[in-house]
Amino acid sequence: MIPEWLSSAIVLIPLAAALLAAPLRSAGLAHALAATAMAAATALAVWLAWLIVPTGLSWQGPRLVWLDLGSWALSLGTMVDSQAAIMGVIVCLLATLVLIFNAWYMHDEPLAARFPWQFSFFAFAMLLVVFADNLFLAFVGWELVGLGSYLLIGFWYMKPAVADDPFYQRFKGVRARGVLEHCLSPAHAQLKAFIMNRIGDAGFLLGIGAFLAAGLAAGVRDPLQWSELQRLAAQGMPGSFLGLSGEDLLLLGCLGVFCGAIGKSAQFPLHPWLPDAMQGPTTASSIIHAATMVAAGVYLVARCYPLFPPEALLVVGIIGGFTCLLAATIASVQWDLKATLAYSTVSQLGLMFVGLSAGSEAYGREAGLGHLYAHAMSKCLLFLAAGAVIHAAGGVQDMGRLGGLARRMPLTAIVSLLAVAALIGTPFTTGFFSKDAVLSAALLHAEQRGGWTWLPFALACAGSLLTAFYMVRWWVRIFLGPERQPEITEHAHDPPGWAAAPLVVLALFTLWAPWTVREHGEAVATGHSHAQIAAFSLIGGLIVFAVLTYAPVVRLVSCAGKPRWWQRIFSEHAEQCGFAHGQPSCTVPCGVKTAAAFAPGLLLIPWLLGYVFDSWFAPHGPDPAAAAQYHAMAIAIGLMFTGAATGLIIYWWLPRLGVDTTGFLARHIYPLYNACANLWWIDRAWHALFARGLGEGLGRLSARLDLGDRTRLAALEGAAPWRPRDLASLDGAIDGLGRICARLGAGLAAWHDGRIGAYAALAVGIASLLVIMGVLW
Amino acid sequence: MGPDHLGSYLAIAAALFTTGVLAVCTRRNAIGVLIGIELMLNAAALQFVAYGRFRAPLGDSIGQAAAVFVIVVAAAEAAVALALLFAVYRTLRDIDLERTRELAA
Repeated sequence: MIPEWLSSAIVLIPLAAALLAAPLRSAGLAHALAATAMAAATALAVWLAWLIVPTGLSWQGPRLVWLDLGSWALSLGTMVDSQAAIMGVIVCLLATLVLIFNAWYMHDEPLAARFPWQFSFFAFAMLLVVFADNLFLAFVGWELVGLGSYLLIGFWYMKPAVADDPFYQRFKGVRARGVLEHCLSPAHAQLKAFIMNRIGDAGFLLGIGAFLAAGLAAGVRDPLQWSELQRLAAQGMPGSFLGLSGEDLLLLGCLGVFCGAIGKSAQFPLHPWLPDAMQGPTTASSIIHAATMVAAGVYLVARCYPLFPPEALLVVGIIGGFTCLLAATIASVQWDLKATLAYSTVSQLGLMFVGLSAGSEAYGREAGLGHLYAHAMSKCLLFLAAGAVIHAAGGVQDMGRLGGLARRMPLTAIVSLLAVAALIGTPFTTGFFSKDAVLSAALLHAEQRGGWTWLPFALACAGSLLTAFYMVRWWVRIFLGPERQPEITEHAHDPPGWAAAPLVVLALFTLWAPWTVREHGEAVATGHSHAQIAAFSLIGGLIVFAVLTYAPVVRLVSCAGKPRWWQRIFSEHAEQCGFAHGQPSCTVPCGVKTAAAFAPGLLLIPWLLGYVFDSWFAPHGPDPAAAAQYHAMAIAIGLMFTGAATGLIIYWWLPRLGVDTTGFLARHIYPLYNACANLWWIDRAWHALFARGLGEGLGRLSARLDLGDRTRLAALEGAAPWRPRDLASLDGAIDGLGRICARLGAGLAAWHDGRIGAYAALAVGIASLLVIMGVLW
Repeated sequence: MGPDHLGSYLAIAAALFTTGVLAVCTRRNAIGVLIGIELMLNAAALQFVAYGRFRAPLGDSIGQAAAVFVIVVAAAEAAVALALLFAVYRTLRDIDLERTRELAA
């Protein structure tokens, strides 16, 4: 039996915590209160999930009618299915852990007391989105999430733009570029996040309108309920509105919902707000990137999933895949350690949308949500670890200055290595299962439908390859190698005792999490246990890795290092390219050329391997779903190993051998490097188009049309012959309107002169008049 | 006319009420306005008692009860109004209603 109040309590406890913590002035007390409340909510959410997930049913909580308009009504209520229950657990759990960590992270921050209530409010808004049983309430929560992110991103609202920040100017990376320095401050970033989300929300509102129109046309009493909408979609959307058929309205509504998700989940072209949101506290980033803000978009699409027609899913997949690759290229060249993580989130969200785009026959919903859950854990952990690193380095975020921190911060290094492993999809971590599920769903969908559906899959594969590369680069640059500037890192230390607890808990969840395995279990068609799958993948991945990288690696090493017996094979080449004579500039081209020669093998070999798996191990005989699963598994693992190995070679091994790979790459693929480092100029384009172009352009236009300005008007009359008559009539109309208003105002002002006596006389006079009229009639 | 007729009480009440209204509408001193309000309230109380005495059955004391209510309300009103006036005086150093017409201090 599920108690009636359970879902409402989970939503309202964080709200109560926010209200209670808001007036507190003591940071410690506020954190304790909020963390306790969130822990209580977590316990309730676990209970709810415990009751609901095994049944696999959806449960309708209490519902009340908010607006009754006769023929139709809007109600507020909760609806919990397995996905919502698991998402609720994740939101509450991560919020609790981040609050605990934040109590340490902000221990010398004067404004720390206002963090817990904003944070609890944020969690409340997200839970509202998660549990809402209709689009209307979900939209309310959606907007409140936007408000919460606005508050948290602008937490240090008085900080100047980085162009005027001496600390930033001193410690920014020498290669930092692509950032509009005069418009990058918490105040700018919070506005940017808010406005970009408004653009998405405009589409979302249109989508809600389309659903509403479709529901009303079909004569449904409560047209925005999920259950009603699903029933309508299953019936093929009867009814039409303004000449649009039910299917058109459904497509329009789904694209509208996805438009909202583009804003909230930071997909191209509305993604630039998320990297800028790094201006907020790192702990706020860790929840924004994991469980609350950006998760809302993916979650909402998954919630509306039964409604999405294939055309809408294709749009979802292409935008998601494109964002996945685009953001991964940007993340690969960032030098700010938080910027890498931010673009990584954008990329992973794109991957989730690729998973969702696979449709329900290919288990797309489970794949996308599974990756959402797994990514939430590892990204939250990565941001907490990044917070610990930034704290340890006294605020320096430049990966060109950090390094060698593994010795000083062993715990942080280990937990973030686990998170990196999960994020890139190493076997035996949650990320492996989820990424594998996404790729296999996308592959199965592409095999079933063909055509354009191959595009999301291909883009997602490229994105996964780069993910492994840049995450390894991130970890290596921060934790391995020499201490590049010892004066920055010499006082570095791990978070003490209880503040380290959230890191450890999250690290355990990156290794094993019941929800990911469960989602994967639904997506896997092979019939193998998860351990078997992971083991197959590991073996297969090692084979792929060995075949693909043996030649380039050996060749590189023979160029750069001291020749050993197995390197003599290539010693000839070393002579030729001049490496033996101390000119190391050949190293990378040799490697790149060899790797390029092997690139076709990168896809071919996993494919063959998949068939081997399929024919040797499949317990149920040949089956397209199982085959796709095996292929995707082999591809995922091959991509992961290749990307990670490339990252290790370029950023760890070769620098140890004294080769300046970074500078080399930057010089030799400069146009590509430059485009990525400049964020593909998307930020600049937005700025030029809207902030400068539209904003200043409109300002100038309105200045030119300034009707009240006589001298300007005279100038215009001289300049353009068509203007005077036009403007004179407009002028007369508007001036006349103004004069009427002014006269009316002056006349009425006499009645509002502030003299109480006059008011009293008026009241008495009117009362007497009424009495007299009453008596006379 | 005389103490045994309802009309004389009503006339006095009407005179009191009119005096009160005039005071409220014309006095510049806020205390004067307050006194005017008290006069109106007392006119109402007087009417209650008079009607209770002449028109109600014997032993019915509802009119008197209403009058007591009016007096209590008048007391409360006076307390609140005086507190308000006190606050106004403290900010503006004045209780002249012609000179305290602006909302901003």
